[in-house]
This record gives sequence, C-alpha cells and structure tokens, in this order.
Amino acid sequence: MHKTARKLHQWLMLFLGLQFAIWSVTGAYMVYMDIDFIHGDNLVTNPQTKVQPAQMHYSLQQLTRAYPNIDNISVDTLLGETVYRLTLADGESSTKLVISANSGEVLTPLSESAAISVARYFYTGKGEVTEVALITDNPPFELSPRHLPAWRVNFDDFGAPSLYVSAQTGILVGKRHEFWRWFDWMFRFHIMDYSSGEDIDNALLFWVALLASFGTLTGMVLVYFRVFKVQFTGRKKSRLRRGGVV
Amino acid sequence: MRWIRKLHKWASVIVGIQFVLWLASGLYFNLMDHTKAAGLTYLSQQMVSHQLDVSKLIEPKTVLQLHNDSVSLDTVFLLGKPYYLLSHQQGLYAHSYHQYTLVDAYSGDAVTFDKKLVTRLAQASYTGEGKVIQLSLLTPPISDFPKQQNSTWQVNFADDINTQVYVEAQSGRIVGHSDDHKKLADFFFMLHFMDYFNEGSFNNVPMMLMAFFSLWLTLTGCYWCIDLLRKGKYRRKRRAR
Repeated sequence: MHKTARKLHQWLMLFLGLQFAIWSVTGAYMVYMDIDFIHGDNLVTNPQTKVQPAQMHYSLQQLTRAYPNIDNISVDTLLGETVYRLTLADGESSTKLVISANSGEVLTPLSESAAISVARYFYTGKGEVTEVALITDNPPFELSPRHLPAWRVNFDDFGAPSLYVSAQTGILVGKRHEFWRWFDWMFRFHIMDYSSGEDIDNALLFWVALLASFGTLTGMVLVYFRVFKVQFTGRKKSRLRRGGVV
Repeated sequence: MRWIRKLHKWASVIVGIQFVLWLASGLYFNLMDHTKAAGLTYLSQQMVSHQLDVSKLIEPKTVLQLHNDSVSLDTVFLLGKPYYLLSHQQGLYAHSYHQYTLVDAYSGDAVTFDKKLVTRLAQASYTGEGKVIQLSLLTPPISDFPKQQNSTWQVNFADDINTQVYVEAQSGRIVGHSDDHKKLADFFFMLHFMDYFNEGSFNNVPMMLMAFFSLWLTLTGCYWCIDLLRKGKYRRKRRAR
C-alpha cells in the first residue's frame, strides 16, 4: 500500500504538479489581496453630495411638456449640480438624458472635458490624467458592454487606474487597476478556464480536479505511513524501513 | 534535497485535509447547477410591466423639500406602482449601508413597510406554490447574505426547498432568495474559502495561513518532481514495469 501510494503519487504529480502550483499561487494572490481593494473601492470617494431642492427651478411640468415620453425619472447630482435623469421610451428602445434642474439645459452626451471632470471628482489619487478615450463598441474585458458608450479616463498612478464614465448618464460605471486585471487572470487560471473567464463548469477542470483528488489522497496515505505510523512504531524501526523507500 | 523533502512532508501534514476539502468543493462548483446554487429556483425573472403616468407624479422638488437631505431621488416600481426612493445616505454598492425613505410617487405619502406589504412584495418575486408561513425582521449580519448591511425582512415559504425571500426593510428591494440548494452551495463555499465564521469573504486569517503552507507544499513538490526527472527516476521505473 505504501509503495503503491508512493508510485501513484509520483506519477500523478508529474502531470498535475504544475496545475497544483498554479492553484496555490493564484489562490494565494486572491486570498492575500483584499477583495475591496481589488474592486477599486479605494480609488473613488463616496461624497454623499446632496440634492439642492432650492436650485430646482425647472419644474416637472416643464419637463413633461418638453419630453412627453418619459419612462423613468430621477434626481441627483452631476459635478455638484442638481440634475434630472430621464429615460425616454421610443417604442422598443430607450434613450437616457441628463438635464440641469436649474435651467433645463441638456448636459449629455458628456463631452471629453466633462468626463475628465467627473473622473477627477470621484478619484482619490493624486495622479494626472494620462489618456482619455470614448469607447462606443468592443469594450475591454474590464468594462461591461451594457455601460457603453463610456469614457475611459486613465490616471498616472500606482496600479495604472482607469475610471469609466458613462457618456449617456455621466455616472461612474467602472473603476479598475492592474491588481483587478491580474486578479481576473488569476481567477481564470484557478478555474482552468482559458477562454472566457466565467465558465467554472468546464470539462478540463473536472478531469484535472478528479485526478488531483486522487493524487492528494495518495499523498494523505503517504502522510499516514511516514508521519503518523512512525509515531506509533518508534523512530528507530521506521528509519530502517524508510531507508528502502525514500 | 533533504530539506525539500522535509518541508514537503510537514507542509502536507498541515494542509492535507484542507487540500481534500478544496478539491472536493472545487469539484462540487464544477458540477453544481448554478441556477439552483444562486437561489434562483423560484425567483421570478419576469419584468413586471409598469406604466408611468407622468401627469399624476408629485413634483420631485416638493418631496425632496419635505424630507431629510437626499443624495438622490429615484423612481422605483413596487407591485407595478411607482414610488420615489430617497437615498439620504448612499453606499458604493446596493448591499452597502444605506438610509432610505420611500414615498408614493402619486400621492406623496411616505410608505411604512408593514407585514402585509412585505408579504405581497415577497410573493411577487416568488414563482413557487408555497404559502408564506413566517416573517421576521433581521438586522445585519444576515447569515444567508453576509454582505448585506441593511435591515432586511426574511419571508419563509412552505415549499419543497424551504425558500426564504429577503426584502430590504427601507426600500422594498428584493435582496435575493435562499433555499436548501443555495444553503448547500454556501456550505461548499464556506469549505473552499475556509470562511468558518461566515464573514462572506476569503480574505481571512486561517485561509492566509493555509495558502502560505500550500505554496510551500506545491513548490517543494514541483522541485522534487524535477529532481526525480533529472535523476532519471521516472524513466527507470517505467522500464522496470
């Protein structure tokens, strides 16, 4: 039993050893990096800017007259200014609009300079803006396509942070940095998904994990023989016996 | 090489059992039904159609002036009817700590969540056949949704999988469903993340310790493997067979 377990363990691990190393390295990264940090929670403030009802000179009645097809309405702030956010229904599709609650002026789609201002408004770092780009299609894997079109604002800072601002709503829709990007790769390697990063139920993982379980169990048999049995039978005897197997 | 073997042996003594648990739970995630594991069995996916009659809406300015300062006012639909949801304090995520007031968007009346309304909201999100048997108002931490930081109603249904619907107390938002399937999956997540204190996170001390020893175990193992290869041990044994 001891010998068979040793042989099996050696041979299985010859093929699985690399994946075990990948599991423990990627697992350790995910465990040691605080998940809130990975989500970029430290990149942005949550300023609790209050809506100023006294500044709302443009009334609901004026709004409904100008936009008869309102599907949803909300009030909040954009760069400190109190605004209405409207969803307008056009048959099947819908459009979004941000309107100053003070003047009724339409503030979207967001210009490049406004997008930079929004990103700076939330950004907690001190780095300068290095790059700004409007993404209308083919978003990078770190941005959900439902947020398009969006401005990507890159900062010159530790971890190369990017903030994403929706061009339609001016809302901050993404906060990413290198540590998130690495985490994403780590997760893919951890679940052995070398395509999309979301399918944990892939066949490769199943077979490798099944064999790996077997490899681990043979390892446990070895632990029993070399550590626990040794404790019972006395050290001298076991050393003699071990001479032959190690 | 002697030290490599020693390290490998003692690291395996420490993490051996957790390795088996990691692999077993990993296999479970690989094979589980993700819809069931997420508590979606009886969660209604249907978008309730709603019609906003803008002419009946109360002026947002009036509502905002009547209540405490707000970060935002959103129109939300509960049971097909529009409400203004005032956020006095807003978190980064839905589960973060919030302070809300909910106001009927047509009448301007503030909504109080009584058991009757909570029951109706829970039933609207539920597609099973079970009847409501119990309601209780929970304050965080909530074991089925450990990240949720807001008071939440738990509505128990009598059905084959013991569905529990969670309704956020201030907003009426459906936090999610839990049931026997989800609880089983959560048990395996607990094993995999070593989250034995149900913090809802894998950034915990036992996990960090085990990750440390696992690194030693696998790296010494790989080194050992390479050493055996270099010494031709693998080849010789194959020939002997």
